Amino acid sequence: MPQPGQVPDEPPPFLGSWRRVYIAVVVYLACIIAGFFLFTRAYR
Amino acid sequence: MRLADWVVLVGTLASIVAYGLYRSRGSNTVDRYLLAGRTMPWYAMALSIMATQASAITFISTTGQSYVDGMRFVQFYFGLPIAMVVICATVVPLFYRARVYTAYEFLEKRFDGKTRTLASVIFLCQRGLSAGLTIYAPALVLSAILGWPERATTMVMGGVVVTYTVLGGIKAVTWSDVQQMCVILLGLLVALVTVVVLLPHSVSFGDAAYLAGAAGRLNAVTTNFDWRDRYNLWSGLLGGTFLFLSYFGCDQSQVQRYLTGKSIAASRLSLLFNAVAKIPMQAFILFIGAMVFVFYVFIQPPVLFQNSALTRIQATDGYADMAARYQGAFERRRDAASALLEAHHAHDAAGQERGKSDYRAAQTDMDAARRRASQLVEISGGEKGFSDTNYIFLTFVTHYLPTGIVGLVIAVILAATMSASSGEINSLATVTVVDIYKRYVRRDATDHHYLEASRWATLFWGAYAVVFAGFAGRLGPLIVAVNQVGSLFYGTLLGCFVLAIGFRRVRGTAAFAGMLTGEAAILATAAFTDVSWLWYNVIGSATVVATALLITQARRAAA
Repeated sequence: MPQPGQVPDEPPPFLGSWRRVYIAVVVYLACIIAGFFLFTRAYR
Repeated sequence: MRLADWVVLVGTLASIVAYGLYRSRGSNTVDRYLLAGRTMPWYAMALSIMATQASAITFISTTGQSYVDGMRFVQFYFGLPIAMVVICATVVPLFYRARVYTAYEFLEKRFDGKTRTLASVIFLCQRGLSAGLTIYAPALVLSAILGWPERATTMVMGGVVVTYTVLGGIKAVTWSDVQQMCVILLGLLVALVTVVVLLPHSVSFGDAAYLAGAAGRLNAVTTNFDWRDRYNLWSGLLGGTFLFLSYFGCDQSQVQRYLTGKSIAASRLSLLFNAVAKIPMQAFILFIGAMVFVFYVFIQPPVLFQNSALTRIQATDGYADMAARYQGAFERRRDAASALLEAHHAHDAAGQERGKSDYRAAQTDMDAARRRASQLVEISGGEKGFSDTNYIFLTFVTHYLPTGIVGLVIAVILAATMSASSGEINSLATVTVVDIYKRYVRRDATDHHYLEASRWATLFWGAYAVVFAGFAGRLGPLIVAVNQVGSLFYGTLLGCFVLAIGFRRVRGTAAFAGMLTGEAAILATAAFTDVSWLWYNVIGSATVVATALLITQARRAAA
């Protein structure tokens, strides 16, 4: 059983580092808001 | 409901519970019972987190919300991906490495016992109040729509939830959540396809979207800023981020899901899955509501979707006049919609403008008639601020969906109730045993003793939720107040965790005083202003942090 503070921080299964995964999620959010904005305008 | 619906409903729910119990074999230590021995795969945690957050009212109310107000409710979730990234980067590794059972246990490691206890008591009050309502609210709607007795519905739902939660612990909860979420997604997909199929043959899917948009039901993004408005881009991004930081970072009902992960990476992936999937899922549910709206453009909807309220106002003065206005407005809206579609197909710009104007004017008249009907409900002795939003989707389901699919949609509602409720009961029991019982009553008992205590605590909170749900009807309008209580506490908890993680020089007493001040600030905001509750988390957490920093600074200066 690992002791406190000794649990390894594994890399994500894609994009190489967690930092890149977080950036990808934020970019995804920006894209989805932009998509909804265009959707709203298209059907207004 | 016909026999086929009952077969689908009972079969679906029985298989969910049986599978959950089957997967929970071997939960015979406290670590396995409360944290699944930290062995859960990321996808099970991901679906469990999603299922725990989605109560039955989420589905019933969200579709109704879209019917009356459009899709702008989706903006409420825009802060969720940001919150998930922050939690993954900060809270998850800290909790995981500290090997804690609860989020509040971490506060004692960082501050002191009184801060941990205050946070635990806040959680127990907040979740304890909502646990009964999670079961009661759908039972109320199901009894009104299907005629099921309220008390029996709460007893059956609660009994099933308590049984598998007590017997199987968090493994049963998580694996049942996985099944429940699959049923929920399947049910939603079938509901959308069925709504679109039920539209008149002359109305295509594109036409339906066009009509929904022309009526303002596809307004997914609104950029105007208003403190009192819950659903705009800015309140979603800022207020939503704080709300979801509080919910996923400080609420044990969510924290416990991702503490069961077999690694930090698995826990992070489960949260990031929700960051990516939650907004499209909510948009999908809202879109179903918009399509139900279009369905009722061609089939006259009742002026009120709650039958008992409709019956109550039929004998009142003013009903006949209001009903005639409603009937006339519906016919004008239906004809205007047909003319608008013709102009749209013919690419006739002037015709489209004229059609939209008539269509929206008729919609305004229908809305006015519905408002008048709500006033009649109040005048005739009904509840103040009457709203039938929660009854719209299930009225449509029970009146127009084919046999079998009705059973599936009702199974979705019950599955959502069970998943949200089991998560609440399980986390309430965990905090009771780990943060209160083990901390103050029996510090050095055996593992078996704490396992038994956890089972009894689960049984206690389950029984409490069912009994509370049974009496919730007598609370009347107080239910609304009780339901809002949850939003009064999150900001304080979030502020405390921000101090714990971001400000190393702050000590326990300053954090404790900050929490008390933050709570007072939230209560004052709720009592004396009309600021939307979504901002309470921002105000509360900012006050906690500012107060604790001031006290820390003052003590340093004095020293």
